[in-house]
Amino acid sequence: MKKDQGPGGQTEIIFTGFGGQGIVLAGKILGEAVALGDHKESTLVQSYGPEARGGACSAQVIISERTIHYPYVRQADILVCMSQGGFEKYIDVLTPEGILILDSDLVQPRGLDRVHFDIPATRLAEELGRKMMANIIMLGFFTAVTEAVSFEAASEAVAASVPKGTETMNLKAFSKGWDYGRALLKGRQKKAEGRTGA
Amino acid sequence: MNGKPQIESRATPVPGPARSIILFLCSWGPHAAFQRLQDECAPIPEAVKMVRIPCTGRITKALLFKPFEMGADGVALIGCHEGTCRYGSGTKAARANVRDTCEILDLLGLGATRLRLGLFLPDDSAGLLQFLRQFSDDIQSLDKSPVAPYPLPAVQGDPTPALNQVLREYDVYACQDCGKCSSACPLTLAGKTFSPRSTANALIAGQWDDEGVRRDIWSCLTCGLCSDRCPSAVNFPGFVREVRRILLAHGLGGHEAHGGFFQSLSRTMTSPDLRIHHWSWLPDDIQTDPQSKVLFFGGCAPYFDIFFRTHLGVTTRDILVDSLRLLNFFDIHPALLDAERCCGHDLYWSGDQENFLKLARLNVEAIRASGVEEVIVCCPEGYRTFSHDYPANGVETPFKVTLLMDFLEREIDKGAVGFKRLNRSLTFQDPCRLSRFEKKSALPRKLLGRLDSAGFGEMQERGGGAICCGNTAWTGCDAFSKALQVHRLRQARATGADLLVTACPKCQIHLRCAMQDPFIGESLEMETVDLTTLLARTIQWE
Repeated sequence: MKKDQGPGGQTEIIFTGFGGQGIVLAGKILGEAVALGDHKESTLVQSYGPEARGGACSAQVIISERTIHYPYVRQADILVCMSQGGFEKYIDVLTPEGILILDSDLVQPRGLDRVHFDIPATRLAEELGRKMMANIIMLGFFTAVTEAVSFEAASEAVAASVPKGTETMNLKAFSKGWDYGRALLKGRQKKAEGRTGA
Repeated sequence: MNGKPQIESRATPVPGPARSIILFLCSWGPHAAFQRLQDECAPIPEAVKMVRIPCTGRITKALLFKPFEMGADGVALIGCHEGTCRYGSGTKAARANVRDTCEILDLLGLGATRLRLGLFLPDDSAGLLQFLRQFSDDIQSLDKSPVAPYPLPAVQGDPTPALNQVLREYDVYACQDCGKCSSACPLTLAGKTFSPRSTANALIAGQWDDEGVRRDIWSCLTCGLCSDRCPSAVNFPGFVREVRRILLAHGLGGHEAHGGFFQSLSRTMTSPDLRIHHWSWLPDDIQTDPQSKVLFFGGCAPYFDIFFRTHLGVTTRDILVDSLRLLNFFDIHPALLDAERCCGHDLYWSGDQENFLKLARLNVEAIRASGVEEVIVCCPEGYRTFSHDYPANGVETPFKVTLLMDFLEREIDKGAVGFKRLNRSLTFQDPCRLSRFEKKSALPRKLLGRLDSAGFGEMQERGGGAICCGNTAWTGCDAFSKALQVHRLRQARATGADLLVTACPKCQIHLRCAMQDPFIGESLEMETVDLTTLLARTIQWE
């Protein structure tokens, strides 16, 4: 699902979650990928404070074809939520046509009547043996469903940003999220065509 | 004979046609008619070579097919009309066998018109002559059969040196005589006087000509359970296969089940000029693409279903359709080899190395020419043969070989795929080529675990230690194989499951066979379905 860029050719993105989930790292990798790999402009604003000890946390990323004059997100085009608190705090910032991405095991969008993308990123990370890689799985999923960043740029940025020696494992996590996203899009397309089974 | 057409007599023989027709002639009614033609020097086409038979109902599909393997252009089966057959049901059986063999000839590309059934009584010699001349003319109008028979070379002399070499190559001398193989062998446990240990020892002692040893070489199911237990890791199935090869090459043939039909079928397919129509029956909604870089190799299931139709009602062909449906589900529209041939597994394991290699080379060449990069195989035997036995016998495969189950697990694992609720409790029959030979027993269980079923119960023997379905490579089918199948089905029922999942078409055929027993069949009956079919019927996008 290609996200149309917002006004001024820029896409405003918020990653939210608990401190310790690697939310800021995910935002940083995304910004780097866009700037270094896709040769666009990007900015990152990260939240500081008690978040590092498990509170709500966010990373605000702006991607643009042109110079970004203001780095804070006013109206999010894409909102990624990896905690219920983050979801509730930021859901109203998301534009009506924006893309909402949730960790389906951690966020319950009760009463929300809009299309969104779910992935059990934390559970998948546990299955891969590293719960701390949920952010990278989410980043892979984000890359697949939003196409805000290219696969190549994002995976290269992942490899360059994670601790030495964990590149293979993190790329596996990134692919896991990417595959899940592609499968989800394919499934939605099939359902729209009225073909759900084999 | 008043009012009947006069039989044309001939003084000089009609010029010999280039075609050959085998006439299986019932020795009761029609033979009298044929004899009259001979007595009157009637112009019986010279292409016709007559074989007297006791009754058309006794001519099995294997016998009907055998002349085609040997290069015949046409076969006619001549019997009596219904109601006049002295065996009662001979004509009915003949009709069914001819119909099935015709379908097989169509799939093979030889064409059903090459086989015909005729029914004549003693006083209808004119009708018989007309039939023979018409059939002969029809065969003459067809191309000569493209089947080039490959007789097995009968090597002269003593096989001992070759056997000794195989004993060395397979390190059978490492046998510690511990007997673990025999105590694990399902055939031995079923009560057969067969022992891998004593067979190995007898061959070490040079007793290859012993009647019991030669029988045992063909009794072995090559299921590999003995090797699994052997502390010296003697590859007994491989050794048995090599001994079969040597004995066969020396003209010391062995036992082939079902009259050797499936070996005949495979050997027929070694003819390069055969224009096989392997996929002519495929449903219209299956999407394939001749330009695809992925090829789906189906295997011999379509032939199995026709062959066993009258008494087993197997539908192993569904495995191929369901495999293709699953590939389509994941947006793979694979190429198919219209002229797909047998992979050669059965010839290989029944010792016909020469024809196995011919099939292997033809298959690999056809796949190479189609330009594909990956071949997906759904049959465990086909997968084993392509991925292991071809390269091991010097036939390199310049493409990736993937087991369908591996492909499915990889795709399903990507996520966003679920399964419809299945209110059945399952158990699983391991195919020996998958679980023991390829060490992939966890894979089908992983897929079964993904299903939303009412439960899964393991049989007493499972995975790498599972009991074979009782027959491999269409050899060794006997009462002891049956006992083994009965044992296996009782194990399956003891799990409390109500659906037996198989993963190899032969497992399904052999287990269903035991369920046909008129005395205990009911106590063994269990609905059986292939894993591929189960997946295809329940998979869905979430």
